[in-house]
Amino acid sequence: MRAVSNHNKKSIARTSLIRTLLFVAAILLVGAQFDAYNQGQLAVVLILFIGVLSVTLLTGISGQLSLGQGALMAVGGYSTALLMINYKLSLWVAVPLSVISSAIAGLLLGIAAARLRGPYLAGTTLVIALAIPTIANRFMSVFKGDEGLPVDVGYPPQWFSNLFGEPGYEQWQLYVALPFAAIALFFASNILKSRTGRMWRSIRDNETATSLSGVNFSRQKIYVFVISSSFAGLSGALYGLRGLVGPSVYPVSLSLLLLTAAVLGGIRSITGAFIGTVIVVFLPDWIDLVLVNFELSEQVSNYLPALISSLLLILTVVINPAGVAGTRLHKHK
Amino acid sequence: MKNRASLSRSPRKSIAVISAALVGALALSAMPAQGASTPGVSDTEIVLGMQLPQTGLASPGYNKVDDAMRAYFDYVNSKGGVNGRKITLVAYDDEYKAGKTVTTASRLINKDKVFAMVGSVGTQTHISVIKDINRRGIPDLFVLSGYSGFYTDPKKYPTTFGSLGTYVTEAKILGKYIKENMATKNVGILYQTDDFGRNTVEGLGIAGLTFTAKKNAASFVAGTQGSGLDAQMQQLKDNNVEVVIVGAVASAFASAVASSNKIGYKPQYVVISVGSDATTFQTILGARGIPAASSAGLLAGTISASHAPSPGEADDEFVKAFKKINDEFNKGPATGKAWDNNVLQGMNIGYMMTAALMGAGKNLTRPGIINYIKNNPSKLSSAALAPLGYSATTHEAYTGFWIGKYDATAVLKPIDGTRKMWTTDSAKGPVTELKYTRPAIAADALPKVG
Repeated sequence: MRAVSNHNKKSIARTSLIRTLLFVAAILLVGAQFDAYNQGQLAVVLILFIGVLSVTLLTGISGQLSLGQGALMAVGGYSTALLMINYKLSLWVAVPLSVISSAIAGLLLGIAAARLRGPYLAGTTLVIALAIPTIANRFMSVFKGDEGLPVDVGYPPQWFSNLFGEPGYEQWQLYVALPFAAIALFFASNILKSRTGRMWRSIRDNETATSLSGVNFSRQKIYVFVISSSFAGLSGALYGLRGLVGPSVYPVSLSLLLLTAAVLGGIRSITGAFIGTVIVVFLPDWIDLVLVNFELSEQVSNYLPALISSLLLILTVVINPAGVAGTRLHKHK
Repeated sequence: MKNRASLSRSPRKSIAVISAALVGALALSAMPAQGASTPGVSDTEIVLGMQLPQTGLASPGYNKVDDAMRAYFDYVNSKGGVNGRKITLVAYDDEYKAGKTVTTASRLINKDKVFAMVGSVGTQTHISVIKDINRRGIPDLFVLSGYSGFYTDPKKYPTTFGSLGTYVTEAKILGKYIKENMATKNVGILYQTDDFGRNTVEGLGIAGLTFTAKKNAASFVAGTQGSGLDAQMQQLKDNNVEVVIVGAVASAFASAVASSNKIGYKPQYVVISVGSDATTFQTILGARGIPAASSAGLLAGTISASHAPSPGEADDEFVKAFKKINDEFNKGPATGKAWDNNVLQGMNIGYMMTAALMGAGKNLTRPGIINYIKNNPSKLSSAALAPLGYSATTHEAYTGFWIGKYDATAVLKPIDGTRKMWTTDSAKGPVTELKYTRPAIAADALPKVG
């Protein structure tokens, strides 16, 4: 029995690893075709993809609605910036450490959230997202208020440039984001296929039945928050490394953007998370491609991306609640 | 067991194959840097970039600057452009969200291939991109922010130049006036808790005005003024503050006045110029149901400062010329075109940018224009009534301000009738009177750099 279960674990890990490596190869190949701007956009896709995965795990798989993932991203961002500025740590050390601090934030949130449900949980998390500017200004000497903490990915190390040539700034952003996105994908893929993933799904589907089958329901809920926060923190750390960690980098709209991406793509699947992220990041550019032919005033064109993504969101919820990746998912059911 | 072994071999093999492909892909994707010709400059065109909040909470007033600037460039283009090149301005909305500013900057730099950034609006948003812009050697000209951190260390940000006096300078000048003329009054402050508000407090402190939190100093988080500043104004009223200095944006000042009005509190306001734009003030109060005539009454008597003529000074030659160009060339929406200080500032930046492009000559390069601006600030005259302060040690724009009071028609008029310019630095230097004669505008309203 033990051997079989070990074998299963291994094959899950292998499938996830293959999936991840294919993903990395695809991103590198696509990135090579892109110009600098789109490489930067692709980096944003990877960064937010990690954040959307946190929503997928929390809301899609475990059924806990959070409107404050942006706040957990801010925890990751501020941790990284403070470690890099005050302790002169390299980003390769600061980012993993900040994942730990976000996990701790998630633990605290999870302990509270284990007692909350539905709208109460959504409300609590929303308040946390709203509180960020106030916290940043209240502890001005540490968080530097609205001015924020400027950090960036800097330059690639010499050996990298020697080996692969000098990358552009956006290209380097992409290369920095890629390994982290790959690790996140690997873990998410593993969790979803494993026993833990099944337990979390069962919490979502029927709490009573889950408790009756012997799952420690409160403890699992806390685990969900810890893992999801780690993902959000990692995403926030990388998002801050684009230039600045400050309240205007992690507005409430960022939390909503993650949720939008998750729903559009398909909130219960990893593929859906990726598709959704691509849609929300590139939508303004696609709209511009179409608008180029029309002389629209800024008054109209500036509001179009928000309008269209809202429309897509409504249409998704009404017509295809499982999102773009949902069709496949339905078949599996 | 056999079955298991074969199962495990195939994925291992595929992992190896994929890994090898990865290294190949990485090598393929690392492309060499681009060639050397100056981006954004061709024989017929110069492309300039700008980012500003066109929508969102911070946008009122500022969202007019790009249309005004573009109107001036269109005017220059109608006269044949600069050295035969037409000026194109590409402006993007960053909603005053720093995460978005990074994207719009990358787009301007990499997609639109701008020659230079000009007149970008906003402090916090600009912090997120200033390092990258400077690292790439892109001229970051006439930034619309009074944050001294951008300008006082040119070694850190060599390509960045301001288009406003710093908040510290202005606060020092206003502080001196308050000290000398309102010494017997109880002076308090309302400020937003960002660099703008803090720089204001710092400048006032140098002038000898200090405040106590929760007593005569009220603050709010920038961006939250939309929900009203009732508590803050009540606090100042309860502490019998007679003079309220406002270090906050125009929408916040309007919010403060609306809140005070509700509780029958009528202090003397002294407002840093960024926050006292009359049309923005009246537009915002208008949206709250206070008609223009009443809001002009609420603004009347407010003391503020300026480095340029008031947009209401119909006799000023620059105001006259810019207004005419605005009427003819501004393609913005009706509200965006309406003549006010934002339009005047936009036109003025357009005028200075044109002068800088002329001065940098036919062989236009990025280092060329930066050197020209750094070495020839006196040739970049404009509507401003003070000279540009650019030097080897600072890239602050105007170091001089005049102090004025709003009259019943919402026009800022020199206090005591005659206009006196005051000057100082962003450090501890004294405030002294400035003697400066502004060069006249040419008949064709184009700058002459000689």
